[in-house]
Amino acid sequence: MSNNNQHKIESPKDRQNRHKAMEAIKLLNSIKEDFKSPVKSMDYFYDLFERVYCKNEALHSENVKVGTMCIQIPSEIIYALDGVPIRLCNGFYTDDEIGSDLLPQKACPLVKATVGHFASGNFSDKPDIVFSPTTCDQKTKSGAIIQTFGYDVIDVDFPRTKESEESREYFRKSIKEFTTKLSKFQNKKLSRKNLKASISKIGYAQSLYHELSKYRENTIVPILGIDVFLITNAFFFDKIDNWIEAMESLLVELDNRNKEKINAAGKLSPRIVYTGSPPIFPNYKIPHIIEQSDAIIVADETCSSNRMFNDMVAVDEWLVNDMLDSIADKYLKACTCPIFTKNDDRIRRIIHLAKQYKADGVIYQAFAGCTVYEMEQRSVLEAMEKAGIPILYIESDYSPSQHGQLSTRIEAFIESLKTRRRNKK
Amino acid sequence: MLNKIKKFINNGDLRKVRFWIQLVTFILFVYGGYFAISFGSSFPIFTCPFNDESSAICYLISLQHQLAMPTQVIFSMASLGILIGLITFIAWFAVLNKAWCGYMCPFGTLQDWITALRKRMGIRFSTYTQNEFENLSKIKYIFLAIILLVPLFMGLGVLDREWTHAFCQMCPARIISPMFVGDFSQWTIDFSSITVMILTGIGVAFTGLFFVGSFVKKRFFCFFCPMSGLHYIFSKFSIIRFTKEGDKCTRCGDCYAVCDMQIKDIADDVISKNILRDDCILCLKCVAACPEDDALHIDIFNIKTFSSTKEGFNKRMGIQKFKGSIDE
Repeated sequence: MSNNNQHKIESPKDRQNRHKAMEAIKLLNSIKEDFKSPVKSMDYFYDLFERVYCKNEALHSENVKVGTMCIQIPSEIIYALDGVPIRLCNGFYTDDEIGSDLLPQKACPLVKATVGHFASGNFSDKPDIVFSPTTCDQKTKSGAIIQTFGYDVIDVDFPRTKESEESREYFRKSIKEFTTKLSKFQNKKLSRKNLKASISKIGYAQSLYHELSKYRENTIVPILGIDVFLITNAFFFDKIDNWIEAMESLLVELDNRNKEKINAAGKLSPRIVYTGSPPIFPNYKIPHIIEQSDAIIVADETCSSNRMFNDMVAVDEWLVNDMLDSIADKYLKACTCPIFTKNDDRIRRIIHLAKQYKADGVIYQAFAGCTVYEMEQRSVLEAMEKAGIPILYIESDYSPSQHGQLSTRIEAFIESLKTRRRNKK
Repeated sequence: MLNKIKKFINNGDLRKVRFWIQLVTFILFVYGGYFAISFGSSFPIFTCPFNDESSAICYLISLQHQLAMPTQVIFSMASLGILIGLITFIAWFAVLNKAWCGYMCPFGTLQDWITALRKRMGIRFSTYTQNEFENLSKIKYIFLAIILLVPLFMGLGVLDREWTHAFCQMCPARIISPMFVGDFSQWTIDFSSITVMILTGIGVAFTGLFFVGSFVKKRFFCFFCPMSGLHYIFSKFSIIRFTKEGDKCTRCGDCYAVCDMQIKDIADDVISKNILRDDCILCLKCVAACPEDDALHIDIFNIKTFSSTKEGFNKRMGIQKFKGSIDE
């Protein structure tokens, strides 16, 4: 019998975990070792990702975990109702492959990976309930698929236009409905005090992100874009108090680096604004290539990072309904997701970011199968051309095979930005 | 030094500043008569002379009197008087633009106090739907037309003396203002003629509605205020500009959420630079609630005087400040 322990046959679950751990550690090691002058305080985040994705450590075993499928589910409300929000958007190729058996060939890899993850049921922090906002077609439909695996999935109605007054009213009602459902599930009433406290806490977390962004506006940028993606990605699942603490010490270090003029990139490294389908750990393929090719990401317009932190909630009278309405407005009206009919807001946002962060160019990445980002590509490219901002459009997926082709294109773009810079001088 | 002053202003607690300004100006304009203060008869706010101690006269009442002169007189040298009245009005108005409404008007202040009472009681305000808003917002121009046309028809002899200051007879300020000095005599319906009876009847009803309305709706009366309409016509002459930099706006709707007047453009219009709308009372709550640096600002002589900033936003929304914060 004792021999059994030594010759254990690997279960599919173990195999999945091993593959995911490999994906994760490969990226983490590269981030840790391939770049000059690493930021010390980033160790917390590297360690966090390693604990969660390589060692499958559970972070929230004592709390009720509320899974969310998109950023439009307000964390403010979840925290106020004693839940922990866990965003389930997934970036693993291993899970993408599992999902491929369940979804159409040409579906978005993010959606496939998320569905694959649910299908395997292999979570370190398994969600007790899942809220799925009806954003893009694929996410909307995948909610129903996930439900068939035996999860408690609740749709949260989300309008596809945001210009009209009706859409505002609609989403305000939808958020109230969401609150009622979660409050029933948690058997807890949403109080004015709790909601105000959680708005303030998230607000503080956001303000820390804004502090971090200020350093990225400088000529000498003390932190890599890929590190920032890790930080914002950690917000998906980390304990918020730990995250805040880690951010505070990171900011102190950045301040010192700023004074000592430590540059995370080279002197001539082109400054990039990153936009498009969200890079989600460990699918940092494109940001990784960009920063390995001697450019630096100074800002981004993605839902896994900037869009999650940028807009804050303002309330006039701090009554529960007043707060809920303001939260709803923020999550709908400020959203620049390409699922909306028109999306001038997104274009304005990218141009503004490029100006504010003095970017040399924009890199627009869309997942093959992420139809909305693919469709919006043309209008964004046209607008950038008009604004005189160089832009590169790339399509990619989660497979590790395209590396050579992608890096050739990205390197060429970055070289052209460098030439442009030199010519300007 | 200049940056420090700027920061001090942009981080200010607008709520407090506004409360004190409103309290002081309320006393000044409603009880100024006790201190023999007078600001003349072309004042751009509801300083109602039916209150004997009022320190100024609302321009609307002067305007109605002036226009009610016989038509031949209006077209004589007497028109100079009307012109001087108008110029004085514009001069006063130009100093503060619509901030007269948000900071100076005792009638507006009274509504804010009623709002504060409701807030204390934990009752939520109500809002209009977009449709209601668009329709109700027109009423002030109907009142403005009454103010301008009725006196002219009187001058022509088409309308009788009983139409004298027709708007004032309907205006709740006529009934409420004297109450502050203990005079409740305006709470009557005048039965001397049918016209007067109807007008004063509307006045009493409107006043009742005023108290109920401003309890449930923020700045209830200001939607209907003809003075607000008149202001808007001259808003271009003011030294104060209300500017929005659309490219910095993310349309998050924070400004709209705090707007007493439910002005949708403040959040949704990213093209207009001049974002002052006819319903605006320039209370600046939107600037205080905007989390984007410089997206909204008030300019005096084209110099940014009060701007929206992230830092100020965090402070006003009670968000903890990070100790190691860098200053720009």
